[in-house]
Amino acid sequence: MAATRRLQKELNDIRQSGLKSFRDIQVDESNILTWQGLIVPDNPPYNKGAFRIEINFPAEYPFKPPKISFKTKIYHPNIDEKGQVCLPIISAENWKPATKTDQVIQALVALVNDPEPEHPLRAELAEEFLKDRKKFTKNAEEFTKKHSEKRPSD
Amino acid sequence: MNSKSETDEASRGSEASSSNNIPTPNNLEDSSQPVLCLNPVLDSTQDIMKRAAKQLIERYFYQLLDGCGNPNCVNQYCASNLQARHLTPNEAAAEAIKLAEHKEARLCDSYPNKVPRTETNNCDSSASTTCNTSNITDKKNSNDEKPESSSSNKVKEENSPKEQEPETSQNLSQEDNKDSSHNNGVPLTEERMCQLCDDCLQTKIPQPLIRALGEAFTQPAILARSFQSKLRDSKTTCEEENKTDKESKAMCSTSDPDKDIDSVTGPGLDVASCHRAFQYLAKVPSEYYSSALVTALTTLAEHLMIDLRINQKMSMEDVVNCFVIAFEMPDLGCSDYLEIALPTLCLAAEHLPVKAQARLARVWAQHCKESLRHILDTLQQLITLRIISTNYTRHYQVQDDESVTRATKLMKILYYANMLAGIVEHNSQQEEPIVIANQLDPLGDALYDFLPLSSMKNSKQSQPEDPLAIELDINVLDARKPYLPFEEFYNEPLSDTIEMDIDFASYKTDITNGKKFAFLRYPFILTAASKSLGLYYENRIRMYSERRVSLLHAVVGAAPPAPFLRLTVRRHHIIHDALVELEMVAMERALDLKKQLVVEFEGEQGVDEGGVSKEFFQLIVEEIFNPDYGMFTQQVDSHTVWFNPTSFETEAQFTLIGIVLGLAIYNNIILAVNFPMVVYRKLMGRKGSFEDLADWNPTLYNGLKDMLDYMESDLEEVYYQTFRICYQDVFGNNLFHDLKENGDSIFVTQENKKEFVDLYADFLLNKSVETQFKAFRRGFLMVTDESPLGALFRPEEVETLVCGSKNFDFNELEKSTEYDGGYTSESQTIKDFWSIVHNLSLEDKRKLLQFTTGSDRVPVGGLSHLKLVIARNGPDCDRLPTAHTCFNVLLLPEYENKEKLEDRLMKAISYSKGFGML
Repeated sequence: MAATRRLQKELNDIRQSGLKSFRDIQVDESNILTWQGLIVPDNPPYNKGAFRIEINFPAEYPFKPPKISFKTKIYHPNIDEKGQVCLPIISAENWKPATKTDQVIQALVALVNDPEPEHPLRAELAEEFLKDRKKFTKNAEEFTKKHSEKRPSD
Repeated sequence: MNSKSETDEASRGSEASSSNNIPTPNNLEDSSQPVLCLNPVLDSTQDIMKRAAKQLIERYFYQLLDGCGNPNCVNQYCASNLQARHLTPNEAAAEAIKLAEHKEARLCDSYPNKVPRTETNNCDSSASTTCNTSNITDKKNSNDEKPESSSSNKVKEENSPKEQEPETSQNLSQEDNKDSSHNNGVPLTEERMCQLCDDCLQTKIPQPLIRALGEAFTQPAILARSFQSKLRDSKTTCEEENKTDKESKAMCSTSDPDKDIDSVTGPGLDVASCHRAFQYLAKVPSEYYSSALVTALTTLAEHLMIDLRINQKMSMEDVVNCFVIAFEMPDLGCSDYLEIALPTLCLAAEHLPVKAQARLARVWAQHCKESLRHILDTLQQLITLRIISTNYTRHYQVQDDESVTRATKLMKILYYANMLAGIVEHNSQQEEPIVIANQLDPLGDALYDFLPLSSMKNSKQSQPEDPLAIELDINVLDARKPYLPFEEFYNEPLSDTIEMDIDFASYKTDITNGKKFAFLRYPFILTAASKSLGLYYENRIRMYSERRVSLLHAVVGAAPPAPFLRLTVRRHHIIHDALVELEMVAMERALDLKKQLVVEFEGEQGVDEGGVSKEFFQLIVEEIFNPDYGMFTQQVDSHTVWFNPTSFETEAQFTLIGIVLGLAIYNNIILAVNFPMVVYRKLMGRKGSFEDLADWNPTLYNGLKDMLDYMESDLEEVYYQTFRICYQDVFGNNLFHDLKENGDSIFVTQENKKEFVDLYADFLLNKSVETQFKAFRRGFLMVTDESPLGALFRPEEVETLVCGSKNFDFNELEKSTEYDGGYTSESQTIKDFWSIVHNLSLEDKRKLLQFTTGSDRVPVGGLSHLKLVIARNGPDCDRLPTAHTCFNVLLLPEYENKEKLEDRLMKAISYSKGFGML
């Protein structure tokens, strides 16, 4: 599909670059506007598992930003129970069409690794994160073990 | 002995010895009273005689005292004649008067001196040689002069050097200084103004300043040449610090023709310099000069008016320059300015021909942007002041108050200047005109001839466009972003005072004889509310006339009497029934659409006095704009509705919506529709363009704009975009469209990106919904095609007509808001928050919505559909509140008190734009 030339190119580039933190990219051939993939964080407490995300590109991409949601449940101040995440780089106000999807994914991985409690979607987790880090880490680890997907072996 | 007393005595002597027919040179004596210098130079013969006599006396005086400079002079009344007796100034004065009376003595130089020589004052009989030389130079100057200069002499001669501090004239530069400050009728320059202001501040003697201002401002010809942009500096660069004085001196003797030409064809007015000069003037306490300046301005305005009406001697450029300078004047802070000078200026401006008005608007737009607000404020102040201080009656209307109407006329020029100063879109495309057929009503036309109503029939012709708008080639629809918001032109006291029925009557008759003033011809000054009252009269009159005609039809027995547009619908099939009925009406008797609407619900007893039709509209709108209905789609990020390009509905359905919208305006009913502005612009005849995307879909607009701003050479690789674009239908299927033939193989590059963006916008806003919109607009025009809607209202105002002013029901929002992170509706911070929010101004409420949700539009169904979440963001701290616009979440730290909360909240919503989030 030609109008999505750029998406096709970006997809190829990402697949070729072999990102360690974002793998198993699945795209339905009939609809290149929806991607799925596995986020593999490096930092505790999330380094015990992997998280499936979905990226939805609008028809007007790249002039409108993609949307990202988590398919795997995650205990994180910046990601809510429905899997919605507020990533500044793809917010309507900040979006730059020149931004590539791999930059977006890197920003997302960085956010997962290092939560930003100043701008939480789940205020109670943010407070726990700030006040009682130990408790937060413990909860998050347990949650990760229980809900997350298996990390790819290599 | 200084010259002051000398001249005093001289003039006194003159009084003593002169007979009655010789006017006393009183002005010499009285020049310490500045006002006299500002006396309008009225050209009564007596004045001319007076001046001529005075001039003559002076010339004798100087000749007796200083000589003509010719060492071989044989004139016995000339000091240069070696045989002549040297006189003291007093003797010389007495002698001069005598000579002038009898006119027997010969004058050495044949032309009056341009440079008044009273300044070369320190020559007593034992005069030093330096003095003489300076006189010689003066004379040379004067010999250069041509006779025409005498006109500019008039005022000069009235001046005397009284204030000059006694000084020795040894110092040439000093003398230059004096010369310049006393040279009369010299065009003002920035430097000279600063110099005068400094002097005034230093010496606390305002007279020189006053005089200079007075001279320049009383004479349009001189004022027009003030503050010229400087290209002729080169002439005078040789002098050190006195350069500018020299220059003004040089200018003073500029009566020679080529210089005059120079100044007309030259670089013209330097408004910035003028502006700076007046700013400098503002440092001087205004009580020093304001009353004098007001008098001068009034005189100026009178002169301008005389010139415009009768002589027309001045070039258009000069006249316009005068106005520009006059309106650069800072606030004089005195009531006389508002009450006398400004109205006179407005009166003069009224006589400007259209071309000059256009030029004034252009100069204002180009050079005086910063002053526009000040000028506007002053005019508004004038109008408001008049309105509240005058008691208008049915017999003395606002329309008869000429100071108000004149100011309004001038404001029109400003209004266009304001548009020109902002962003104007030039190549906007027009929607194709739609001709509404079936409007012919032969019987009605025949009947009109027998009726006094025939004048109403004439009103069918549309209002002619404003000549100034044609001259400037500008239309309010093209003004994308005026320099000042259009709302600032509204004058509320005026809008409230106007008797709209009378204004409307004048507006209507205006077309044919153009005599009566109607504010409706100046719609910018009226608020949308008062204009809608005008529209109401228009609609009522048309309704009544349609009704009367249909009664006459009945009398003649031609058609069944149908004084109203009567619709009968079943509540459960409202769309279908309305569609069928209205379609029938539209097909067969489109004129009936302009009758008053009466709706009946089948099986219900309600009689329509307005309430039933209101409900009818409400139900129709609810149904039709329901996304499930498929005619319109919801734009998620802007809360607006848009035509569904892939709608299965027939065109007739869209025509129906158009009719409904028209009927709503026509019958004064407010609808809960949320169209983006581009719909109203398109209805008023402009096609949608790229700029319209900003309101239609802000995210997309920003993305495209970003690409336009992207200047790197790798645009092609980075964007990898072709001229084929993708869009989704309501079911989420991806559809493709080639903006150009073979669009898929044409990549967007730096060179063609603008074309891409324009084509893209054209596709989204025009092409993709062409059939739907055309049908819609057709329906709208069936009702409104003859109404002055387009002439009176801007698209933004039409929106207000349709949707009412945006009312934010924050109580509703409070009820539906959810809390997170430890807040409940009982938390102190939350209680404080709502009490602050409910007291916000409408504008701030709008900002708050924008801040938390990314859009200031109310979603369909009201604010309760917003699903606002307020989440606690930690304990008290100095951070500002933040928001996740994607999920309508407001993050609020638990501030320690209400004051802090208010402070932080206001900061956040006021400065949210331009700061990146997070």
